[in-house]
Amino acid sequence: MNNGQPRGQMPPMRMAGRPGPGGPGGPMGARLNKEKPKNTKKTLKRLLKYIGGSKLLLICLVAIMLIVTVSDLAGPFLQGKAINTISITESGIHVDMAAMTGYLAFMGGMFAVSALMAFFQGILAAKLSQRTVYTLRNDLFRKISKLPIKYTDTHKHGDIMSRMTNDVENVSNAISQSITSLISSILTLVGAFSMMIYYGWIMALIACVTIPMTIALTANLGKFMRKFFIRRQKLLGQINGQVEEMVTSYKTVVAYGKETDSVEEFSKMSEELRKCSISARVWGSIMGPCMNFLGNLQYVLIAAFGGFFLLNPGIIPFMKPLLLGDIQAMLQYSKKFTRPINEIANQYTTILTALAGAERIFEIMDSADEVDDGQTVVEDIKGDIEFKDIFFSYEPGEPVLRDFDLSVKAGQKVAIVGATGSGKTTIVNLLTRFYELDSGKITVDGVDITEIPKETLRRSIAIVLQDTVLFSDTIRTNIKYGRLEADDEEMKFAARFSKADGFIERLPEGYDSLLAESGSNLSQGQRQLLSISRAVLADPKILILDEATSSVDTRTEMKIQQAMVALMENRTSLIIAHRLSTIRDADVIVVLKAGNIAESGNHEELLAHGGEYYKLYQNQFAGIST
Amino acid sequence: MKYIFKYLKPFAFLAIISPLLMIGEVFADLCLPRLMTIIVDYGIYNGGDVSESVLGSTVMRIVFGEGSYSSMQVIITFGILMLLVVVVGGCFGVLCAYTAAKASQGLGNALRCDAYKKVMSLSIEQTDKFTTGSLVTRMTNDVTMIIDFTEMLLRMIVRPPMFLIGGTIMLLALDISFGFVMACALPIMLIMIILVLSRAVPLYGVVQKKLDKLNSVVQENVTGARVIKAYVREDYECDRFEKANSELRVINEKVLMLMAIMHPVLTVVMNAATIAVIYMGGWQINNVAGSGMSAGTIMAAVTYITQVLMSVMMLTMMFQSVSRAMASVKRVAEVLDTDPVIVSGDKIGDDSEVAVSFRGVSFRYPEAMGSPVLSDITVDIKRGETFAIVGATGSGKTSLVNLIPRFYDATEGQVFVDGINVKEYDLHTLRKKISYVMQKSELFSGTISENIRWGKDDATAEEVAEAARIARAEDFVNSFNEGYDSYIAEKGASLSGGQKQRMSIARALVRRPEILILDDSTSALDLATEAKLRDGLKRELGDTTVIMIAQRIASVKDADRIAVIENGTVSACASHEELMRISPTYVDIYNSQMKSGGEAV
Repeated sequence: MNNGQPRGQMPPMRMAGRPGPGGPGGPMGARLNKEKPKNTKKTLKRLLKYIGGSKLLLICLVAIMLIVTVSDLAGPFLQGKAINTISITESGIHVDMAAMTGYLAFMGGMFAVSALMAFFQGILAAKLSQRTVYTLRNDLFRKISKLPIKYTDTHKHGDIMSRMTNDVENVSNAISQSITSLISSILTLVGAFSMMIYYGWIMALIACVTIPMTIALTANLGKFMRKFFIRRQKLLGQINGQVEEMVTSYKTVVAYGKETDSVEEFSKMSEELRKCSISARVWGSIMGPCMNFLGNLQYVLIAAFGGFFLLNPGIIPFMKPLLLGDIQAMLQYSKKFTRPINEIANQYTTILTALAGAERIFEIMDSADEVDDGQTVVEDIKGDIEFKDIFFSYEPGEPVLRDFDLSVKAGQKVAIVGATGSGKTTIVNLLTRFYELDSGKITVDGVDITEIPKETLRRSIAIVLQDTVLFSDTIRTNIKYGRLEADDEEMKFAARFSKADGFIERLPEGYDSLLAESGSNLSQGQRQLLSISRAVLADPKILILDEATSSVDTRTEMKIQQAMVALMENRTSLIIAHRLSTIRDADVIVVLKAGNIAESGNHEELLAHGGEYYKLYQNQFAGIST
Repeated sequence: MKYIFKYLKPFAFLAIISPLLMIGEVFADLCLPRLMTIIVDYGIYNGGDVSESVLGSTVMRIVFGEGSYSSMQVIITFGILMLLVVVVGGCFGVLCAYTAAKASQGLGNALRCDAYKKVMSLSIEQTDKFTTGSLVTRMTNDVTMIIDFTEMLLRMIVRPPMFLIGGTIMLLALDISFGFVMACALPIMLIMIILVLSRAVPLYGVVQKKLDKLNSVVQENVTGARVIKAYVREDYECDRFEKANSELRVINEKVLMLMAIMHPVLTVVMNAATIAVIYMGGWQINNVAGSGMSAGTIMAAVTYITQVLMSVMMLTMMFQSVSRAMASVKRVAEVLDTDPVIVSGDKIGDDSEVAVSFRGVSFRYPEAMGSPVLSDITVDIKRGETFAIVGATGSGKTSLVNLIPRFYDATEGQVFVDGINVKEYDLHTLRKKISYVMQKSELFSGTISENIRWGKDDATAEEVAEAARIARAEDFVNSFNEGYDSYIAEKGASLSGGQKQRMSIARALVRRPEILILDDSTSALDLATEAKLRDGLKRELGDTTVIMIAQRIASVKDADRIAVIENGTVSACASHEELMRISPTYVDIYNSQMKSGGEAV
C-alpha cells in the first residue's frame, strides 16, 4: 500500500485543517475583499429582517431616540428663549429673571428627560445588537453544522472562521453604533432643519447652502482615502503572511541561512507600509479641518443674513421678523447641522463593511444543506453492505470510482489496499454519506442508504480516522463523545478495552484532565487510543478504520494494533489498511486500482494469484527480509 | 515608554514640531468663540457698536479706519476673520497630522524591522517559546497599536491640556464666578468616569476570553466536521456553541450597559453646567451693577465650559489608551530584549577524516524537566558514510541531529563538524556545509524552481532540474502544466505529502552539501520510490555524508551503519546484519514491522 497520501484524490482536503486565525491578526487576508458588498439592497433587507426579529425592541428604540433628539433639539431653542429675556432698554441691560428661570427650569427638565432616555437608548441598543448578533451567530453555526462535508473540504477553514468571527463582529458594531447614530443623525438633521424653517424658510435655505458641499467633500475625500486604506490593509496582510510563513518554517530558514534575505524582504514591505500609512493618515486628517471650515462658513452665513434680516425686517415677503434670540438659536442649530452629516459619512463606511460581512455570512447560510430525506425506519442494522455500480467524482470529469462494486457481509473484515489516489478514502466518504454518489447505489442491510435517515445510518457506523479529532475538553467528555449518555463505568470500560486507561490514569487528573486545543498535549499514539475508546463506547455495527501511516513508537503501536483487533470483533469492518498484519488478518482484501477493484480475496489467494496485490506486497513489505 | 522615546529619537525634530503645530490649531479653536461673541454681542445685539470691545474696535479700526460701523460691517468682517482663523488653524492641524504621522510611522517601521530582525536572529527554542501566532500579533497588531498611540500622543499631548488651561483662563477672564460652576462640574465628572471605567475595564478581558472560547468551538467544528457528523453530534455541538454564545452575549451586554450609563451622565453634567452658567450670568446682569455681563459673554462662557469638560473626557480616554499601548510596548520589547542563545563563532573549518563527531553529548530541552533527552552520546560519523538512526518516537533521534547545525546546543559534551567544535564555527559557514531535510516538509509560497533555489540562490536551471531528478521529483514537476514555474500556494497545500518531501529533498540537494541530514523525510514515499531515491543519492552524492533518521527498517537497512537510539543513548551501532544478531531492540522493531509475513516470499 502506498504510504503517500491516504486521503484519496480529494482536491483541497483539510481534515487536519490549518489552525485557522489563531490571533487577532490571522484573518487579515479575508478583510481585503470585503470593502464593498455586491448586492447591497438584498443584503440590507435580509439583515434588517434579522434586526426586525426583535420588533418591539426596535420600535421602542426608535421612539426613545425620537424623544432624545427632540429634547436635544429643544435645548438651543430654550437657550435662545432664555437669552431673549435679556433685553437692552434705555436704562441699560436688563433680564426678566422670572421668565429666564422658567426657561432654564424647563431646559433642565428637558435635559433630565433626554439623559434618562439616552440611558434607555444605550441599554436598548445594546440589547438589540446583542440579541441580533446572538441569533445571527447561532443561525450561522447551526447552518455550518448542517453543511455537507464537501463544503468544509472545499473552503478554507480560515475563511469560514473569519466569517464567524470578524464578519459577525462587524455586523455587531454596525448595529450597536452605526444604526443608532444613523437614526439619531437623521432625526437631528430633520429636526434641526424644521427648526430652521420655523425661524424662516429663507434662513433654512441659507443653512442648506453648505450641505451639498459637505456631501461632495465627504464622498470624494472618502473615496480617495479608501484607496489608501485598502492598500494598507493589503500590505498588513502581506506582512502578516511573511511573519507567519517565516516563523512557522523558521528551522528551514535557519538551516538554509536565509535570515538576512527575509529581513530584507520584510524591510521592503514594512517601508511600503510606512509610506502608505502616512498618506492614509494625512488624507484622513484633512477631513476634520474641511468640515470645520464648512461648519463655520455656515455659522457666518447665518450670522450675516440673520443680522441683515434683523436690521431690515420685511425685506423678504411672508417672513416674520427675527429676534436676537432667534439668531442665537439658529446659530446653535447650525452647529447641530454639520455634525450629523459628518456622522452619516463616517457611518457609511462602517455600514458598507458590515454589509459586506453580512453578505459573506448569508453566503454560507444560502449554501445547500446536507441532503437528508431518508424516511425508512431501520432498526438493528446488522451490517451487510453493498456497493452497486458506483460512479463518483469530486471534480466533474475526473472520476474517482468507476463502476465500483463491492459486497460485504455482516461481521466481515475487509481490508482496502491500493496506491494513493486509488479511491480508498472515497469509499468511506460515500458509505457515511459525507459525499453523494454520481450514480449507483449503496445499501446497508439491503436498504438504499439515501432512504435511511442520516442519523440512523451514522449512528450505526463508527469511524476512527488517522487524523484524530479531539476537543478541548476533558478526556472523559472526549471519550463520551461516542455515546453521550454513557455512564462513567462504561466510559472507563471503553478506555480499558482500548488500552488507553494506562496513560490516562498516569495523568495527574486522570479522566478529568483537560486537553489543549485538538489534544495537542497528547502524543499522536495517545490521541489514536482515545479515538478508539470513543468508537468502542459508540458500539457500532459497522466500523471504519483508517490506519495511521505516521510514525508511532513501537510499544504504543502494539497497543493500537491490539485495540483495533479487539474493536473489530463481531463488527463489519472496513479498514483502509497500511500494516501487513492487519491486511493478512482480514477476511477479504480488496485491491483498488484507478477507481476500481483490481482483485480481491484473502492474503494467500492473492499472493498465489500473482497480480496487483503480489506486486504491492513485493514493493512494500517483502523487500525487508531479503 | 523607554522604547517609544528611544525609537522616536531619529524623528525628534518631527516629534517636537508636531505638538507645536498643534498649539496653532488649538489657538485657532480658542479664538473662534471670542470672534463669535463679537459677532453676536456687537454685530447683532449692539448694532455694530464695538467701542466696548478692545478686540472688536481694534480690528474694525484696522479694516475700516476710525468711525462708527454698521452691524453688517461687523458681522461680515468678523465672519471672514473667523473663516481665516479656521483655515489657518486647519493648516496647522494638517501639518501637525503630517509630522505626527511621519514620526510615528517611522518609529513603527523601525520597531517592526528591528523586531523582525531580532526574531530572525533568535534560536529555534526561542521562537518556539514565543509561538508563531504571538509573534505575528506582536509584529502587526502590537506595532500598529504603538504607532497609533504615538501618533495620538504627538497630536493630542497639547490639545486637552491647552483646552483645559486655555478654556479655564478664558472662562475666568469672562467672569470669576463661572469658576464655581467649573469647580463643581469637574470633580463630579471625574468621579463618574473613574467609577464606570474601573468596572468596565476588567470586563474587557472577560469578553476576550469568552470570545476565544466561542472561536475555539467554531474552530473545532470546522476542522472536526467529519467526526461530529460521523457520531451525529451536530445538536450537541450546537448546544455547546449556544452556551458559549450566550455567555458572550451576557458579558457584552454588561459592558454596553456600563457605557450606556456613562454617556447620559456626562451629558447631564455638561448640560447642568450650561444651565448654571446662563443662570448665573442672568442673575449678575440684574443684581450686580457694572458686571459687564452680556448675552454674548454668556454664550462664550457656555462654549468654554463645554470645551473644558470635553477636554477632561479626552484626557481620561488618553490615559485609558496609555495602559493598552504599554501592554503592546511590553510585548514588543519582550522580543527586542531577547538575546539569541546561540552565538556564532568565527572559525571557517577545514577538512578532516571524520565529518561529524559527538563527544559525550547530553542534551535536555531548555526548561524541560525529568531525564535528559540525550545522555552521554559518543559517535563518529565518517566522511562519505551513510549513517542511519532508528529508535522509538521520543527516543531523541531528531534532537541528536538538531545539534549538528546548532539548532540547539548540547547541554554537556561537544559536537564536532570537520574536526571543529560547532560552537566555534561561523554559523553561516557551518550551516552552509549542511542540508537538513525536516520531518515535516516546509515549502514556501512561490514557484517550484524558486522553492528549489532556496538551497542555492544562484543555481542554474540545469542544477535545479538535476536536483529534482535525483530527488525523483522530476516526473511530477513535469506533469504540471507550467513545470518548474508552477506556483505552489499556501506552503504547498496543493502538493501531496510525498511530493512535498521530494521537493524539500531537491532543495537540499541543489546546494551540494557536505553533510545531508534526512530526518524521516521519505516517510510519505512508497518503498519503491524511496529505494530509487536512495540509489540515486548513493550514486550521485559521492563523498557526501548522509545522516538519515527513519522509521522503516526497509529504509535504513542498506546504510553503512545504523545506530539504535534508546532512551537517549546509543544502544547499538552497526550494520543491519550485525544488528540483527546483537540488538534485541532492533530485532523487535524489525519484527513489529514485518511480523512473520516477510519471510513468506
